[in-house]
Amino acid sequence: MIGGKVLDKRVYKNDKTKEETIFTQLDSGLKVYIIQKKGYNKKHAIFATNYGSNDNKFIPINEKEVIQVPEGIAHFLEHKLFEEPEGNIFEQFSRIGTDVNAYTTFNQTAYLFSCTDNFYDSLKLLIEFVQRPYFTDENVEKEKGIIAQEIKMYEDDPGWRVFFNTLKGMYFEHPVKIDIAGTIETIHNIDKETLYKCYNTFYNPKNMVLVLVGDISYEKAIEVIESVERKDFDSEEKIIRMYPEEKKGVLENYIEESLITSMPLFAIGFKDENINCVGEEFIKKEIETNILLDMLFGQSSEFYQELYNEGLIDGSFGGQYSGYKHYGHSIISGQSNKPEVVTDKITAYIKTLKKSGLSKEDFNRIKKKSIGSNLMGFNSVEYIANNFVNYYFLDFLFLNYLDIFEKITYEDVLSRFHMHFNGDNYVLSVVKPV
Amino acid sequence: MNALLYSDRINIGKGMNLNLIKSNKFKSNLISIYLIMPLNRKEATMNALIPLVLKRGTSKQTTKLDIERKLEELYGSNLNININKRGERHVLRFTIESPKGSFVREEDYFLEVVKFLKELIYNPYLEDGIFSHKYVEQEKEILKRAIEGKINDKRVYAVDRCIEEMCKNEKYSVYEHGYIEDLDNINKVNLYERYKTILDTSPIEIFYVGEYDDGFVGRLNDIFAVDRKDVLDIPREKIASIIQTKNMVFEEMDINQGKLVIGYRSSVAHEDPLYNPLLISNHILGGGPNGKLFRTVREKESLAYYINSRVYKYKSIMLIDAGIDSINFEKTIEIIRKEIDDMKNGDFTDEDIEISKKGLINSMKSIADSNYLIGEFFLSKVLSNDNKLLEGDIEDLLKVKRDDIINASNSLSLDTIYFLRNKKTE
Repeated sequence: MIGGKVLDKRVYKNDKTKEETIFTQLDSGLKVYIIQKKGYNKKHAIFATNYGSNDNKFIPINEKEVIQVPEGIAHFLEHKLFEEPEGNIFEQFSRIGTDVNAYTTFNQTAYLFSCTDNFYDSLKLLIEFVQRPYFTDENVEKEKGIIAQEIKMYEDDPGWRVFFNTLKGMYFEHPVKIDIAGTIETIHNIDKETLYKCYNTFYNPKNMVLVLVGDISYEKAIEVIESVERKDFDSEEKIIRMYPEEKKGVLENYIEESLITSMPLFAIGFKDENINCVGEEFIKKEIETNILLDMLFGQSSEFYQELYNEGLIDGSFGGQYSGYKHYGHSIISGQSNKPEVVTDKITAYIKTLKKSGLSKEDFNRIKKKSIGSNLMGFNSVEYIANNFVNYYFLDFLFLNYLDIFEKITYEDVLSRFHMHFNGDNYVLSVVKPV
Repeated sequence: MNALLYSDRINIGKGMNLNLIKSNKFKSNLISIYLIMPLNRKEATMNALIPLVLKRGTSKQTTKLDIERKLEELYGSNLNININKRGERHVLRFTIESPKGSFVREEDYFLEVVKFLKELIYNPYLEDGIFSHKYVEQEKEILKRAIEGKINDKRVYAVDRCIEEMCKNEKYSVYEHGYIEDLDNINKVNLYERYKTILDTSPIEIFYVGEYDDGFVGRLNDIFAVDRKDVLDIPREKIASIIQTKNMVFEEMDINQGKLVIGYRSSVAHEDPLYNPLLISNHILGGGPNGKLFRTVREKESLAYYINSRVYKYKSIMLIDAGIDSINFEKTIEIIRKEIDDMKNGDFTDEDIEISKKGLINSMKSIADSNYLIGEFFLSKVLSNDNKLLEGDIEDLLKVKRDDIINASNSLSLDTIYFLRNKKTE
């Protein structure tokens, strides 16, 4: 019983991980997940909104016209929420020994803290500061210098540049090709009015989730949240986001940049054309693709060893799938003095495998390994919390992630292989030494 | 034992200890083996090459492919071999982490993991009794690339360069991954000789974090105990508290953001009662978003996105680093100097002290939630001859008084300013 009435409380258990999650939804529409980690000193909380750099075209709440906002505004807003009328919120967290931080991705903005003591006070502060925007012309201007330094730092990072150029080359229209932090020019155009518009549209509790991991009392946590959360958000409005129609194929086949780096970095991006799915369907596709990439390009593949022995690649070589509802891609990356040769070998290898098929033995081994690795992830409260938030926005309960592995067969991976690597849907991005 | 963290330390041979940390909260068992060597220029490159060659094969798994597949069969056991410096010690670490048997329905397979690790260290793949020529030559090339790759992460590069300049005449300046010019003289014969010497003479510390019983401890003992004659006694680092020469080093690169690193020396050793106050002083200054440097350099002046300060325990040096525009070099230095002077003059609040104590204690308690950090924590205790429990460390920290912090701050003197600046704006 909280606040005089019973909240709908659900408990989920998973046999494989032996983990347990309590879920509830508050009257404000906010959903809360608590994952118990008995015996842990550390407690971790993430308060996240389903709003990231991709959401740059939308109808602001209580308005009728679609607006396009400056690139980098979701990330800018993340920085500015730390500002309070009486200074920034860091000091208040520090006073109780808690580390607070935040990050912005393509699809979400997350505010988090980690502490060993004073968890409930920290939780209170987290909800209060995220729900209390305070933007002034002056504090918005001041932030531009700081973010400009953040942007410059990334401009000098060859790994980041080779990755972003891959996205730029792969997509025609989709905003995933835009830098999360924007550019020094685009952040220049950000003002407090637009920040408030974004805030009021996307920081509605119905669009957010709160995930708590650690040795935490459900009753106490809910009591704290209900005592401080804002209840004055318009709860009926639905958020209308606009995403451009993305053509099939890739914009460019080759993209190159020069930076200070010891040897060329490369990334080959394969665009996914089986998109528009969420929930278990998405998770299954994601796991299948990652198993596939590991079978093909992982350190236990003959292909990897052959290229390694020829001096074409090193330990940095590997492939990873990532995606969201409306887009997805596999990126195979590494360092090499001959990125074009590596690319040719990869495409020829894929062609050969299309005829010869994949090894069932490899599949079984990689599946076994992936289950073990994911299981060990559950040692970390941060890992659990990050994944919970990420998969919540994809309509999937992360607690059951390992169960999906059981459902994946060799045939699934084989069919995914034929669909995903279908010819010319790739770009090669190279960062060369100056 | 109801301590936050407790390690059972058993001597299993000359210069060889088994440290057992009982914990049932993790989903995995973890074992880390540390071989501790002196850090010096002559052997650094060979030391750095060894883990790369060991990863190529064992007497049973003769190729890297076999090793990788073996690990996958062991439920994705995670093998990590690396080398780094801790003060003037060059430490080679082998870590393997595996899902607990109860989660993968194969109760006792961890012993197989342990035996595999032993094999990897003690029975590397050999041809005619020495390392394989092919493996050694290929890995020399990989190491060469890694050394050349120092410039890829500009922030780390700048910090390494500052230490290199600052400690020019001390062993601590030796780069942990070695030197390209030293690679030419390394071959399968002298490298294998070096490895045998390492195994024969290095102090070895083994850490196990997980569940165990007496039977398991006995097995670990049987597997790892070896007979050795002369184990090295590695001397403690010297602390140069008197500044020999004040340095100002500039380097230019075609980059967008300049990297500033300022090195201070402190005369306070980690055994000194003023060491905890030094840690607090450092935390007040640049330990996080509430630090003085963050508040002024970033929040007030918008000069940087990141600015931090850090104490290097074994050498008693403190480094401040920030990414700034080249034109703001003087301005940033001036602010940093003023903040240091404020620390020396006691210009900080009691609340600053409380905040730093809480922040440091938070990180200390968090160690217990990571099986890897637990091993690292006890290794650091071994390296510094300190057998206090984590609780004792926390108590000592809580006792620190304002005057101690002022005294510790006054032990700091500026040694080296290193600036990696932007060619474009010049």
